[in-house]
Amino acid sequence: MKAIKDIPINGIAFALVRVPSSNRLLFGSSDFQVYDLDLAADKSGPKVLGAHQSYVTGLALAGTLAISGGYDGRLIWWDIETRKQIRAVEAHTKWIRKVALSPDGKMVASVGDDMVCRLWNVADGKMLYELRGHHERTPHHFPSMLFVCTFAPDGQSLATADKVGHIVVWDTASGKPIKTLEAPGMYTWDPVQRKHSIGGIRALAFSPDGKYLAAGGISKIGNVDHLDGKARIEVFDWQKGEKAHEHIDDKFKGLVEHLVFHPKGDWVLGGGGANDGFFLFFDLKTKKALRQEKAAMHIHAFALDEKAETIYAAGYGKIQKLEV
Amino acid sequence: MAPNRHSNFCGSPLHAMDRRNFLGTAVAGAAAFAADMTQLNVLQHPALASELKKQQKRCILLWLAGGASQLETWDPKPGAPTGGPFRAIPTSVPGIHISELMPQMAKRMKHTCILRSLNTRIGDHGGGAQLMMRGRRDEPNLKYPDLGAVLARELGRRDSQVPDYVSFYFATEGRSMAPGTAGFLGSRYAPMELYTSMVPENIRRLDSINDLDHKQRAELRELLSKQFAQGRASSSLDSHNEAYQRVRGLMASDKLFDATQEPPKVRDRYGPTLFGEQVMVARRLVEAGVPFVRVARAWWDSHGQNFETHQELVPELDHVMAALLDDLQERGLLDHTLVITLAEFGRTPKINPSLGRDHFATAWSATLSGCGIQGGSVWGKTDAKGEHVVEGEVGAAELFATIYRALGINPQKNYYVGSRPVPLTEPGTKPIKAILA
Amino acid sequence: MRIQRLILTFLAFLLGPILSRADDLLSSALPIEQAVDHFIDARLQETGLQPAPPASDANFIRRLTLDLVGRIPTLEETRTFLASSNTSKRVELVDRLMHSPAFVRHQATELDTLLMKGTRGSVRPYLLVILAEKGSWDRIYRDLMLPDENDPKLKSAAEFLRQRVRDLDKLTAEVSSIFFGVNISCAQCHDHPLVADWKQDHFFGMKAFFSRTYESGGRLAERETGLVKFKTTKGVERSAQLMFLTGKVVKPDTSKAAPPKFSARAELVKLSLQPGQRDFFARAIVNRIWHRFFGYGLVMPLDQMHSENPPSHPELLNWLARDLVEHGYDLRRLIRGLVLSRAYARESRWDKGEVPRPNLFAVARVRPLTPMQLAVSLRLAVTDPQTLPPMSKPEELDKRLQGLEASAADLARSFEQPGDDFQVGVGEALLFSNGVAIEKDLLADGGDRLLNRLRRLQTDDEAIDLAMQTILGRLPRDDERKLLGNYLKQRADRPAEARRQMVWALLTSAEFRFNY
Repeated sequence: MKAIKDIPINGIAFALVRVPSSNRLLFGSSDFQVYDLDLAADKSGPKVLGAHQSYVTGLALAGTLAISGGYDGRLIWWDIETRKQIRAVEAHTKWIRKVALSPDGKMVASVGDDMVCRLWNVADGKMLYELRGHHERTPHHFPSMLFVCTFAPDGQSLATADKVGHIVVWDTASGKPIKTLEAPGMYTWDPVQRKHSIGGIRALAFSPDGKYLAAGGISKIGNVDHLDGKARIEVFDWQKGEKAHEHIDDKFKGLVEHLVFHPKGDWVLGGGGANDGFFLFFDLKTKKALRQEKAAMHIHAFALDEKAETIYAAGYGKIQKLEV
Repeated sequence: MAPNRHSNFCGSPLHAMDRRNFLGTAVAGAAAFAADMTQLNVLQHPALASELKKQQKRCILLWLAGGASQLETWDPKPGAPTGGPFRAIPTSVPGIHISELMPQMAKRMKHTCILRSLNTRIGDHGGGAQLMMRGRRDEPNLKYPDLGAVLARELGRRDSQVPDYVSFYFATEGRSMAPGTAGFLGSRYAPMELYTSMVPENIRRLDSINDLDHKQRAELRELLSKQFAQGRASSSLDSHNEAYQRVRGLMASDKLFDATQEPPKVRDRYGPTLFGEQVMVARRLVEAGVPFVRVARAWWDSHGQNFETHQELVPELDHVMAALLDDLQERGLLDHTLVITLAEFGRTPKINPSLGRDHFATAWSATLSGCGIQGGSVWGKTDAKGEHVVEGEVGAAELFATIYRALGINPQKNYYVGSRPVPLTEPGTKPIKAILA
Repeated sequence: MRIQRLILTFLAFLLGPILSRADDLLSSALPIEQAVDHFIDARLQETGLQPAPPASDANFIRRLTLDLVGRIPTLEETRTFLASSNTSKRVELVDRLMHSPAFVRHQATELDTLLMKGTRGSVRPYLLVILAEKGSWDRIYRDLMLPDENDPKLKSAAEFLRQRVRDLDKLTAEVSSIFFGVNISCAQCHDHPLVADWKQDHFFGMKAFFSRTYESGGRLAERETGLVKFKTTKGVERSAQLMFLTGKVVKPDTSKAAPPKFSARAELVKLSLQPGQRDFFARAIVNRIWHRFFGYGLVMPLDQMHSENPPSHPELLNWLARDLVEHGYDLRRLIRGLVLSRAYARESRWDKGEVPRPNLFAVARVRPLTPMQLAVSLRLAVTDPQTLPPMSKPEELDKRLQGLEASAADLARSFEQPGDDFQVGVGEALLFSNGVAIEKDLLADGGDRLLNRLRRLQTDDEAIDLAMQTILGRLPRDDERKLLGNYLKQRADRPAEARRQMVWALLTSAEFRFNY
């Protein structure tokens, strides 16, 4: 892996989408801004598209419509051609952690710490469903967090996952839960030494054939003050409700923050980090890590190009373009 | 007894002082209040209860072990690059904003003074804990008493039937770095420390002896010992007999530690967490006359995932602290009880790649609520990013002087180690008058 | 008594000028105990105070046994001593105790506390070796400051430096306090505000002797060069010289690049023991040992031996310091002299009105037992005295006592090391009142336990006598016999329980808790 472009940014980029077949990226940052960045146009750094009132942590792109979500609880629709805000919706009463677009581009899902997943009509911003299936509190009486959502390739299913490792797969047509899965290894509660918790499922991805659901996070941690657990990926044969693989990385510690499948399903790529960053290529057939690469920064989000040869990555203080 | 002029620490006759007078103040200063305060039903006699309330001041220290973030609690910097994702919300006092994680305290701001300008310099847990629990660092040959031991001494009664310094610290992390300590005041003022059980160690009679025998063998012991003490003047000897005299009273106070003695309504109010339960018990203790209780909530040391950690811990603090202030106020105790939030330090404005914040003693916050404090106030100011104090810098010594003053204690009062005078706070330290009621 | 003392004082007064040297000290040929009483009595006479009468034999043997071997006497030891009509029996007792192996063990415990208090380490294994060889205080000082880590028998001496090497300020301050009786830590930040003796130069001068010391791979090492720089209160940066407390400076010899290696620490040891420089060293340990046996120093506080804080008995301190130096820093000699003095052997009770100031040494101090003294004494007190080997078999008895000491170490950790103005905490009283360990262990009544014996005695009177003698080392007074008798009689239905409770009351009595 080789970095071919390195754009320093102020703050931390949490969310990233790529305009298909281009070098144009949108990313959301800890400085509350949504940025537009064209890597093809030399030297023109990121341009502000608009702003939230807190960290911008979710982005979806449907044609020329971008939908961003942030810790301010709002979803904002943008026209990326006119660079205008179209609408803003008070979508969640707590932080929005992630936003995902349905494969047909008609629906957008948002999850937040109110522990609800909401489905929205991309075209008019109307809410379609409220999906409630995650506990508001951890078993230890603390607020839980709903970190991530993702659509299946056929668009009929949607998965959500929370802090304690509870996963729900929903039917997008009816808004009803189809399956629940558990990955308790992603959550550490320290009842003795420090009496607080860390972890949670931070990334979800369906395999291109829709059979597998991969979840990313961090393994059990001794000292919950630090991201001091091994990077962790669990893969479920979700319709059977079975765990197919469990990868506990032997090289990297930290959170797997984002997961993307190879278009043909050859591997799943996870990116994340602790104080440093990493990329993990995990082969579902051999159940082994194909490659374990140190990244230049803690990775929060990334996108692959159509051939899966280029990675566009966003994270702590940097946007990077890398060749695989 | 003549002063020991020859052995003054500094040779100044000003410091020559009769040691017995010095010891006597602790007894004389205490309320001449004969009722057995372990019996909570005392408090059901309104006259007695109000008398007690008038007489005694006390203090609850909420020790946020590991170092809570000032930016996610009392000194938010929304929108600053260092500010993190949380918003600031207005409080019931116009102009004062605190983190959105503390909506309940925001409504109760009138009781509380926020000090936003602590610069205490020491950024390791052990050193920071020592400094912030004692108001200064030990000398190589002099171990200082901590706040609890000083208040036990100043506010407690020498023959008290209740413990005078109770400390809860159930999490194991950082415990050995922040022990309660009586320093040169000696073990008479050492804390009753609860680590694993809500019942203090050795406070319950063993089944192998019946209550009458337990009582009478203690009386036998006392008779034998009193004879021995005749003609032998020694404060150590006195302390031995006094320690035994307190045993039966302390044993009777075991119900004070029993959370189930509170009605469900009160228990619900403090919430289901251990911290909530311990703070509720702290209220029971101060209500019964215990002058100082520390409840340590560990462990805030969020080097990774600072925001998630504070999402867990700050709402708990907000809820429990609000419940405590309400409860104390309803019982008429808040004017006589000082509630402190304090830690060994705060956390860095810089957010590290693990989305954590690290140790930071340069510009951080503490709060004082209730007794002797000008509520609804803020002291000091940090810059826009929270990196430096720009107004009203406060060190550990000033903070302690302010605490002592709020509790009616002269911060320049001298203790004597041998014949060396040791003032409660470093000479020349001034309390922050502006925030004292 | 009084006349005798007057005559002695008068004689000393007459002979003093003839026998003493130019420094006007009392003759160095006098036994230590006589010098002690000479100076102490002189001061008492000046103040017109009649000291407390001598302690009884029972009182004396308890005090002395606790002080010399760290435990209460056994029943046989007490009885034998009380029964003896030998006029020199106190001297013989002192010598017997000082020649027992337990003296070395107790001395090692006491010195280890002095040297290592506040650290996590111990030099006791080293002290046991060196004290068994009758090693002197300057030898110990040398070994601690210049430890030989290659000698397995002596290497634990290195713990003294090792426990402090990461904090050189602490090391500097504690060496100054422990070996030289001065606390110069205030002078770290500024010239001492009240004591003209101590300048910043003193603190940093002392620190310069240690600044080259470091730990490397678990072993202590020292660089040949290294500078301590400090800022004066006026903000001027200065380099510290290698300067001892007396102001004497060592000039590092840098002319020779080859060995002999220059060790700053070795220079400190050499310098601080030189004539004209060694007063700090000698006076500090004399004052500390005096404090241990009298409960109050000739200079108080112990680490404030400076010009503004003179001793209560300057001539006595000088005399004892000179004697110590002249006799090769032999602490045994000093201790023997102190405990043979009349001043040491006074009663601790004062019934004549206002209690005299402690620095007159007119009455014995009540001293709390150290954790080990208390724990070992408790273990011994609950042991059936008839199961102990007889005094005629000292090796066997000592072996048994060693076993008790080993089993007392855990219990000792429950107690606090007393300092001046020590206050007993309620935690200790609660432990004794309700602690499982006390009930199940100290108050057990099987096998070789005192309670097993008491349980079998026919009459309450016998039980009371045996319990009192074993635990407190004396027979009950009439009022006590009556008090205890009534207690037992009221519980005639459960005599074993009653006797257990009586033992508890004696073990927890103030009389047991203190050396009086």
